[in-house]
Amino acid sequence: MSEAELNYELVVDTLPNGLQVAVSPDPAAPGVAVNLWVAVGSADEEPGRTGFAHLFEHLMFQGSAAVASGEHMATIEGLGGTVNATTSSDRTNYFETVPRSALDLALWLEADRLASLAITPENFEAQRQVVKEEKRQRYDNQPYGDLLELLTAQHFDPAHPYGHLTIGSMADLDAASLDDVAGFFERWYRPSNIRLVLCGPVTPDEGLELARRRLGHLPKLSAPSRATMPVVSGPEPHTTSVTRAVPHSLAYLSWRTPPAHHPDHLALDLALAILSDGHASRLHRSLVKRRDVANEVHSATLTNRSASSIATVLGRPSDDVPIPALADAILAELAAFIDGGPREEELARAVAQYERDWLWELATTTGRADAINESWLLHGDPQRVNTHLAEIVALSCDDVRRAAGRWLSPDDAYQLHYHAEDAR
Amino acid sequence: MTRPTVGPSRPWIFPTPRVDQLRTGLTVWRFELPGQHIATFELVLPRSLSAEPTSKEGVGTVALHAVDEGTSSHPDGEIGELLEAQGATLHGSARHQYTTFGGQSPSRRLPEVLPLFAEVLREPDYAERDVAHHVEAQIAAHQSRLASPGAASRMALRRELYGPEQRAGRPASGSPATLVQLTPDDARAWHSETFTPVGATLIVAGALPDEWLEFDWAGGPAPSEAATVPPRKPGRIVVLDRPGAVQATIVAGCRTVTRDDPRWPALRIAGHALAGAFASRLNLDLRERLAYSYGVSGGFSAGPVEGQFTVAGSVRSETAADAVARILDAVALGVGLSEAEVESARRYLIDVAPLANETSADIVAQASALAAAGVAPDYLTGHLRDLAGISADEATDAFRSTVRPDDLAVAIAGDAATLVPALTTAGLAATVVSL
Repeated sequence: MSEAELNYELVVDTLPNGLQVAVSPDPAAPGVAVNLWVAVGSADEEPGRTGFAHLFEHLMFQGSAAVASGEHMATIEGLGGTVNATTSSDRTNYFETVPRSALDLALWLEADRLASLAITPENFEAQRQVVKEEKRQRYDNQPYGDLLELLTAQHFDPAHPYGHLTIGSMADLDAASLDDVAGFFERWYRPSNIRLVLCGPVTPDEGLELARRRLGHLPKLSAPSRATMPVVSGPEPHTTSVTRAVPHSLAYLSWRTPPAHHPDHLALDLALAILSDGHASRLHRSLVKRRDVANEVHSATLTNRSASSIATVLGRPSDDVPIPALADAILAELAAFIDGGPREEELARAVAQYERDWLWELATTTGRADAINESWLLHGDPQRVNTHLAEIVALSCDDVRRAAGRWLSPDDAYQLHYHAEDAR
Repeated sequence: MTRPTVGPSRPWIFPTPRVDQLRTGLTVWRFELPGQHIATFELVLPRSLSAEPTSKEGVGTVALHAVDEGTSSHPDGEIGELLEAQGATLHGSARHQYTTFGGQSPSRRLPEVLPLFAEVLREPDYAERDVAHHVEAQIAAHQSRLASPGAASRMALRRELYGPEQRAGRPASGSPATLVQLTPDDARAWHSETFTPVGATLIVAGALPDEWLEFDWAGGPAPSEAATVPPRKPGRIVVLDRPGAVQATIVAGCRTVTRDDPRWPALRIAGHALAGAFASRLNLDLRERLAYSYGVSGGFSAGPVEGQFTVAGSVRSETAADAVARILDAVALGVGLSEAEVESARRYLIDVAPLANETSADIVAQASALAAAGVAPDYLTGHLRDLAGISADEATDAFRSTVRPDDLAVAIAGDAATLVPALTTAGLAATVVSL
């Protein structure tokens, strides 16, 4: 049997107020994942009002009509559950995984904060400061902390919805008023803009009934309309050079790729894996092992739901190798790859590695619920978790070559040359 | 609507492995986890890094990282291609007291993967070029840690706790001065003495295939070394100067007892109540009440011969002195833990266990720490039972008798020109050090 044939049971329903619910039963799992995706992220923020989507990740734990500040998290932890939230450009994700006996309470806690979030001056001020500390800790006080911002700026104008970081700017956080924040909640945190996935030891009937009982009373309001996504009009491919107090120089190459739901993304993932994932990858073999041009090479993809995504290849040059020389060497390998395509065994290796990574993502109810919600938001279909691997397995060498040729052309590469201050 | 009540949680026990002693001297723990499509395997090698030659520290790490670059049968990366073709990935860590080396693959592919893993252990190539590459990578990693405030402050804490003259006080992966001296012969010598089945434990977890597999890996005994515990040192506050840094990255800690101490269950509960939970005393104070920090975390961790208690967090520079004073004050535990605090910690630590042991990797991580400490796999089940019986007084007393503020070392990476005068004003003497 191929592992590609996954078959997680999944039952989907929509409550009368518009809130969509999916239940994926797993009787043997140790806990139930309660995974809410609110379809609002930093791309929905207005210029001068950045950081709002992420701010709610904090405010949502500061209490509501029947729940004290911090009590939501403390309650879940005190029951042996795990709880957190994350924000991206496209969605805000609230999740807890709880013992089966605490599922009803977890849904009640979600309902209380959606119905009556305490957006008070005290909560707002405290969490604004905490978020500023988060920004300092993650970006401002870290080596390479501005890499993501520089990369984003290469591809998007600052005014574009994807042109700023999720964490926002200190100035916008300082300038935010309580009314701005309350308005943001009112606009986006509506049942019609939320998807709930339950995954674990709960039957579809029980899960749907609990969701109806706890969340069905929330008001029915029309789904918020997202602003029309402007055409990406950022700069054409170019090179940005900066010098920073960091230990090592880096060459960061990137390309504009299609939105996350585009079918070419699967083939692009495999292309990047064949190029730079692991010691058997082309770039590692050629540039690190054979020619001593680079000390390490990696790749990553930053996907966007509604505009172009970004594929990146990162290289750390060997001593005495200038960044442009490393960038040229990477592009030459890429050109050869686009020209000849992968060999069958290279594709098979990349597929095998992808299979492990994907199965690993689904190995916990927490991860599976999140993957279901992601499929739902990006593809409009939560069932894609069951067919995703089969789509990967079905790709041919030619599919991968074509996708790389279309989206990763050396001529279309953006270059970020990140120089270490004291590099030789 | 009224708040729903929560019934009792289902009792849970740590899975029981099948234990086999192979004729090669290797002990194997097999955890059968039906439904886990991804299997995890890990070898626990009990050799301490104090056995490294002083001038060649880091050889344990370099040998571990270079081990799968090539084998006699499949040189020059071919072994890696074979492993990757099976969807396998290998990883390991050379810790001060022991080394782990293992990987993951789809469960159904284990029959093909484990023989390749054994080949890596049996006949590594250690080609000149590969060893040189990993020496470079470790020197680069060292420089990256120095540049990272979190990693640098942890390095400084370790040096304060053990002293630079002790192996345990120096970085596990060596320093540029020692790494640069390493040769393939050094890696081979370390490998032949350390990567041996006698005394080692192989832990495998997942939806395991029915047939057991030959694990063709033999070797002699590792040199025996008595585990030693260096003498303890009085605590002090040290600052790693980062001119202009917008935050102070603080880590405070001390050396403590380990699992075999009767106070261990009470200490884990106290540590969680003080610094482990979102609603811990320190997180509520420094994040929720004062908004100094994005978060504070900490608690007790156990090693094979001793444990550690740590508290860590980053705060904006101007609040650092007050934050350190508050951490020291909290650790003094002037007000004992309340029954509510202890109940919450107790319930979390017991009831989170099924979630924390959901995957094959979770089980292997837990089992490997137990194997390294020479503890039987059923330890955790008994430990959870012990946690259930701990009272607030027991947690308070255990903490007070184990963690003394005077023993606490505090390492802060931040702007010394701001931090040192502010600490002095707060009555806290600080010494500026460099790594």
